[in-house]
Amino acid sequence: MEGLVSVAGLAGGPVATIGGSEVGRLVDVVVRWGSGLYPAATGLVVRVGVRRAFVHAGQIAQMTSGGVELNSVRLDLRDFVRRPGEVLLNRDVLDHQLVDVDGARVVRASDLYLARVGQLYLLVGVDIGMRTFLRRLGPARLRRSVVPGLVIDWADVAPFTAPGARVRLREPHQRLRELHPGELADLLEDLGRAERRELLTSLAPETAADVLEEMATGELIEVLRDAAPEEAAALLARMEPDEAVDALRELADADRRALLAAMPAPTAAELTGLLAYPEREAGGFMTPHLVVAQLSDAVGAVLGRLRAEKEHATDIDAVVVVDDDGRLVDDVPLFDLLVADTADRMETLVGPPWPATVDVHAGLEQVVDKLTGNRSSSLLVVDADERPVGRILADDILDVLATARGRRWPWQQR
Amino acid sequence: MSTPPSGLNAERPLHRGRPATTRRAARRVRLLAILAVVGPGLIAGLSDDDPAGITTYSVLGARYGYRLLWVLLVSTIALILFQDLGARIGVVTRQGIAGLVRQRYGARAASVAIVALVAANVGTTAAEFAGVAAGAELFGLSRYAAVPAAALLVSALVLRGGFRGVQRVLLALSAVFVAYIAAGILAHPDWLAATRGLAVPSIPMTREAIVIATATLGTTLAPWGLAFIQSYAVDKRLTTGDLPYLRVDVITGAVLTGVIGFFVVVACAATLHPHGVRITDAAQAAQALEPLAGSLARDLFAGGLVGAALLAASILPLSTSYAVADLTGRPAALDDTPREAPLFYATFAGVTVVGATLVLIPGVPLVGVLVLTQVLNAVLLLPLLAFLYGIARDHELMGRFRATRAAAGPYLLAIAAIAACIVALGVSAIR
Repeated sequence: MEGLVSVAGLAGGPVATIGGSEVGRLVDVVVRWGSGLYPAATGLVVRVGVRRAFVHAGQIAQMTSGGVELNSVRLDLRDFVRRPGEVLLNRDVLDHQLVDVDGARVVRASDLYLARVGQLYLLVGVDIGMRTFLRRLGPARLRRSVVPGLVIDWADVAPFTAPGARVRLREPHQRLRELHPGELADLLEDLGRAERRELLTSLAPETAADVLEEMATGELIEVLRDAAPEEAAALLARMEPDEAVDALRELADADRRALLAAMPAPTAAELTGLLAYPEREAGGFMTPHLVVAQLSDAVGAVLGRLRAEKEHATDIDAVVVVDDDGRLVDDVPLFDLLVADTADRMETLVGPPWPATVDVHAGLEQVVDKLTGNRSSSLLVVDADERPVGRILADDILDVLATARGRRWPWQQR
Repeated sequence: MSTPPSGLNAERPLHRGRPATTRRAARRVRLLAILAVVGPGLIAGLSDDDPAGITTYSVLGARYGYRLLWVLLVSTIALILFQDLGARIGVVTRQGIAGLVRQRYGARAASVAIVALVAANVGTTAAEFAGVAAGAELFGLSRYAAVPAAALLVSALVLRGGFRGVQRVLLALSAVFVAYIAAGILAHPDWLAATRGLAVPSIPMTREAIVIATATLGTTLAPWGLAFIQSYAVDKRLTTGDLPYLRVDVITGAVLTGVIGFFVVVACAATLHPHGVRITDAAQAAQALEPLAGSLARDLFAGGLVGAALLAASILPLSTSYAVADLTGRPAALDDTPREAPLFYATFAGVTVVGATLVLIPGVPLVGVLVLTQVLNAVLLLPLLAFLYGIARDHELMGRFRATRAAAGPYLLAIAAIAACIVALGVSAIR
């Protein structure tokens, strides 16, 4: 195909001056992950005799599948030394794993394509096709022919930094941030440790915490172990408390204490309180986030309180109404609040059907029975004095029940 | 890529100095953790005791008595070293050997290695189905019924079982190896001579002895087993926190593999060797055992052969599927459906069908295919071990789990020993 240059095909190809005299063979193409969607080649690594010289992109007259033509005969013959931020396409990207943001999957680069735009050669696409991979195994002529197979626009790709790079050099991919946390969690679980860490650190802290909540506990523990303690503590502190507690339970005592000590005191106290409940009891997997109202509170004031709890939106599906002693009276669904007059008092919204509750020490089976029997989206957890202490959401129970998924033999599906 | 300092130690032992009840609870938790990780090491290890392995051990015992048992010990140590390495690499990088070789050594090196692996695996799969056929015929069953039934069984397991189903059946199948331990005991071996053979290395400097010693090493440390354990650990989604338990699993699997091999050798050394009985395959060994150790020993030996063949006939196509999908960057997981991972399942079906068919077509030179397979496995083993070593030492890929220079010593020693065996074999073949 005219206009596209295959990076795999270029490797080992001749580098010549305009006059046609060959000066060396191409080893690699150098780029930098900038903020632009399509990074420009900043130079070439060329083997000249026994040396590997750097040729600045400005010296490239043209690159075709047949080789490279330079507009200058002057070459700096000092050995190429990679500078911070430089990525070598052949060495660091070709045949490596990349994230296809559009498809939310991990892919392997069979070829990379450059295209000339003005005076620049831009990296415009990655080919992940099997035929392209097989083409590369053939003779040089076949290798250099560009027959794009399964090409992904480079704008939809999240590459990783150059090996040894100490800072992240590419801006986090905008569309990566738009993926659902579940999709991001699946992506992370498919990546090696270093890549996983890089992808995670490129996300906003809130998103990273949401993603961790979606990960399997073992994977989550691995992420926490790979992070510095302060970083791990910050991630845990941003997670929903019930999910954070699940992770903390899996850690050794000393590690758990270190993480709790590195967290803001109120968060640490909340998590420590939850950790006191046994894992298989309602208190062990409830969320302590409740929006509580008194009978005399105005609906408008309660709505204001809900707005302040925006970051816990997924954990709140009702407002708990309590009496003066803090004992449970009712659990008012958000819909009822929404259609009520803001001047109304909460007591006007209280009435049958009364909410289903479980004791803080109830076992998992009892919680499941109560939730399925009641057909509600959540259950209130109360202590021995009928004071609300937390809430168990149906999706938390789904996580537990989902372990039965994947059992494909008939006798396993009971 | 840099690895930041970590304050949480993945391999830190549980806190000491707690009350006894807490320690008991911690022990229970640790045991449960080991059970959750069990699989890769046990399955990959025990599947090395396939019909080709049983044949090799039988010939070793029948021809040389207890004398070469030490070769089995060396092979077991090498198996522990490299299966642990492969599994560790898989867990840390989340990639199979094919993908990592492509990434680190280039597309050509990876393709050559995987093409050789596929060819060798197809041949070895045929050897496994030949083992099913031979074992079934000892029980009076036709191979034309037994082999297609085995192929269907294996395919149904992989297609319908999901990861956990497959693993449970494979682990259950592994139990058949107890049969070899029983057969070994029934043969009333000379335990003192066996201990001496295990602990004191000596070898007759003949071509035949070098061939059987190299074959023992090669059949225990098979390329397909190494490729399998790495991909299987990835598929099982083990994490670096599981590594200590995974090591227990690998060592247990390798030691059991060695123990089973030991009992096969002593069964043949105690019965066939004193009478100078020459055998060329495991089925003959089973038959030859009957007049010397009784019909129960024969049936146990034959039953073990069928079970071992079935286990390996499941692993080989799987090992191939993982490698091909990994090389080409396609999905490769037992929990994927055929629609999600078409190449993975197509490769599984292809290897199974070709392997089974080779055994059933009259006139196919099966012995020639098997010899070529063994040669390919031997040729492939060295570069594969070198690749594994290179990857394990790569800081970019392994980070803080990289093999240190000191830890790398035993691997280099093992590679050198295997290279010496292969060179000795080559030299003796030229002479």
